[in-house]
Amino acid sequence: MTPSPPATGAGADAPRPGGTGPVLHVEDLSVRFRMPAGRYVEAVTGATFTLAPGESLALVGESGCGKSVLASALLGLLPGNAETAGSARLADGLDLLAADERTLARTVRGRRVGLVPQSPAAHLTPVRTVRAQLEETVRELAGPGYAGHATEAPEAPEAGTGPAAGGRGTSSGASDRPARRGRRHRLAALRAAARAAAGRAAFPASHLDRHPHELSGGLAQRAATALALVGDAPLLLADEPTTGLDRDLVERTVDELRAHTRADGRALLMITHDLAAAERIADTVAVMYAGRIVEIAPAGAFFGSPGPRHPYARGLLDALPERAFTPVPGAPPELGALPPGCAFAARCAAADPLCRTRLPALTEGVACHHA
Amino acid sequence: MLELDDITAGYDRRAPAVRGAHLSLYPGESLGLLGPSGCGKSTLARVAALLHRPDRGTVTLDGRTVTGFFHRAPRSLRTAVGVVFQQPRLAADPRLRLRDLVAEPLRATGRRTEAGPRVAELAERVGLGADLLSRRPHEVSDGQLQRACLARALVLRPRWLVCDEMTAMLDASTTAALVAVVEDYRAETGAGLLAVGHDPVLLDRWCGRTVHWNEIVKH
Amino acid sequence: MAEQVWRPQGRTRRSTRTVRVRACVAVMAVIVPAVLLVPPLAQLDQQAVDLAAKLQPPSWEHPFGTDDVGRDLLLRCVYGLRVSLFVGLVAALVATVIGTAVGAAAGALGGWTDRVAMRAVDTLSSVPHLLLGIFVVAVFRPGVWPVVASVAVTHWLSTARIVRAEVMSLRGRAYVDAAVSGGASRWRVAVRHLVPGVLPQAGLAAVLMIPHAMWHESALSFLGLGLPAHQASLGNLVQTARGSLLAGDWWPTFFPGLLLILPTLAIAGLAGAWRDRLNPRRRSELTL
Repeated sequence: MTPSPPATGAGADAPRPGGTGPVLHVEDLSVRFRMPAGRYVEAVTGATFTLAPGESLALVGESGCGKSVLASALLGLLPGNAETAGSARLADGLDLLAADERTLARTVRGRRVGLVPQSPAAHLTPVRTVRAQLEETVRELAGPGYAGHATEAPEAPEAGTGPAAGGRGTSSGASDRPARRGRRHRLAALRAAARAAAGRAAFPASHLDRHPHELSGGLAQRAATALALVGDAPLLLADEPTTGLDRDLVERTVDELRAHTRADGRALLMITHDLAAAERIADTVAVMYAGRIVEIAPAGAFFGSPGPRHPYARGLLDALPERAFTPVPGAPPELGALPPGCAFAARCAAADPLCRTRLPALTEGVACHHA
Repeated sequence: MLELDDITAGYDRRAPAVRGAHLSLYPGESLGLLGPSGCGKSTLARVAALLHRPDRGTVTLDGRTVTGFFHRAPRSLRTAVGVVFQQPRLAADPRLRLRDLVAEPLRATGRRTEAGPRVAELAERVGLGADLLSRRPHEVSDGQLQRACLARALVLRPRWLVCDEMTAMLDASTTAALVAVVEDYRAETGAGLLAVGHDPVLLDRWCGRTVHWNEIVKH
Repeated sequence: MAEQVWRPQGRTRRSTRTVRVRACVAVMAVIVPAVLLVPPLAQLDQQAVDLAAKLQPPSWEHPFGTDDVGRDLLLRCVYGLRVSLFVGLVAALVATVIGTAVGAAAGALGGWTDRVAMRAVDTLSSVPHLLLGIFVVAVFRPGVWPVVASVAVTHWLSTARIVRAEVMSLRGRAYVDAAVSGGASRWRVAVRHLVPGVLPQAGLAAVLMIPHAMWHESALSFLGLGLPAHQASLGNLVQTARGSLLAGDWWPTFFPGLLLILPTLAIAGLAGAWRDRLNPRRRSELTL
């Protein structure tokens, strides 16, 4: 049984189990950058969304629309000239935007929010084997008290990571605490835990002793995913996890992420410009344009029928080579000089004077005066 | 005609990335080369752009057998092939403003007087606003930078274009826009295109003919 | 929007760094004007001997005390630091120019040029710096310029290595490919793309070399091989004060030593802050 919150079991079958609180609740999140001469660049404005256990949300948009900044804000990795407003609360109420660096480093990154990186080859240390990196991560995330739980790990891969996981104690690991806590035993437990972590990400045990450059792109991605899964974080954040991968590998990576999300009751926030990957993984799609979420819709309705409602989202889908393959005309506005009305009005065929003067609010999942 | 005959190339002679590859491209033709990541297709693209000396095999460009590569290739042959790379961040000198980035090939070939009007024309063509031209690479997005890199590849009016995963980092709209720019240019000048990529849907839609990596290399 | 509360990010990291940088700036703000302005403007004789006031501990009249012939140590230290800083600055400049030229040529041209240049660097590096430096000063008569030459000859090696490595890594970038494809010659690639790319690194190496060169000069002077004994330099001051240290008089060695360490830390701190700004990852963080 999974030691996660009780209702998580339901997450294995249904993407949105009723009755559980959201894993992540982002409300009115804004990020701006202070520039020289007192200017501000509004990178993200008023982003609001929730993520339920087992749900995958794909945040799509073109490069420079603010989606990566949103991810950095959630991980507390913004540069020094950034300012944030609003809140991003985890299930236990911790506001990621208000937490200090110490809290983020000790209890959030890897433990409550796992990061699946953009380029696994760059994320892994080139001079150490995958096994060494996994074992180090296990040791870091679990602390010295890990030995007791680790023996359980191969049988119960979801064994919690002790006190570090923010009160999510283990239900199964405590009974079999070894009497001798010798060095050798701890080492064996650590190795088992690392093997189990690799197994969860379908990383073959035979490749554990290889260095990152000896791995194919797909295996490197799995190694990075394995590292992200070690802390058993209820929220996975994937920042462009498929960039530069070929189609087969994209599909495999996305399917694997999907499996880790749905089966284990985790929530996944995937940030991507790859609409095909988004279609494959997402329960919900959020489209970002010029720092704002302009449409948030169930993936089925968005990619199938009736299709997207916001003209920008429609244009984005129409640009796909399997559809019309025509670009959205014009260029996105500068985040430092946004127009007073709808940011898309200048590129929109349906724009009228109202669009150019009044900002449409996000109502019923779409921010457009004409939707 | 751009012909690659029995090309073996790579960075380590004992383990070449490309073994015995054949590829021929007629003037005005667009050829998509499809292959999984890490298969060596970028190396082959560099050979086709005369930027990498193959260990074995010959490259024939417009009837001339190429004997030197990279700096050793005659300038007139080198500039006959325009290249666009996968990652605009790496393909742009971080110190140059986009205007200078696009104009650089004109300056390098002693045609700096043409730079002003030509850069303006190309910026318009690839959809770069005038205010973006005075920025440096770290001040623009990947999509905007790739537009500038495409403009740079077109600035010398090459007879051939090699696009190595040009759109892999880009969103759907920018992809469609840049492909349209390439196709407009080809329609206007009759240039040939080698588009290397991993997305069959995109290459089928973009190119007249698509070959798979396995079909062109020896096993 | 009016009720939005904006929270700055990453404040703590920023403030500790700022404090450190400010401390470094403060040290340099005292030292640099002192050594630049006091000797030419103050018309004080650093050699003024006052045997009645020899080996005085620090007091209001002599804040750094006096030496064994009663010369004011504060004044001697200012003059000494002036000489040491001058030697450090000029030597670092010369070494950086040589190192950058050799490193850039080796990295950009590759092949035989690279092999020959780098073997020469390796050979020179295998000789202990101080020994090589002593050899250079031994050939000439003691004085400022032999010391500068000695420091420069021993210190360009590391810069050459840094610049070469940097140029080699830039040479593999796609933007060099793009330049070559655009018809750029070898020379143009080097001058337009490679050398400008390594200049920040070379500049950083030069700044970090200043304290290094100061220590090298002090070591030579301490050994009696650097500047002539009558000329105040930090090394000479420590050297002449060695005897009084045995007698329990701490100030004649303490203050020159302190003035060697403080600028070293300050320059290293400022260079560190500069490197943080150069770091491309930090710069790219600002892009959206």
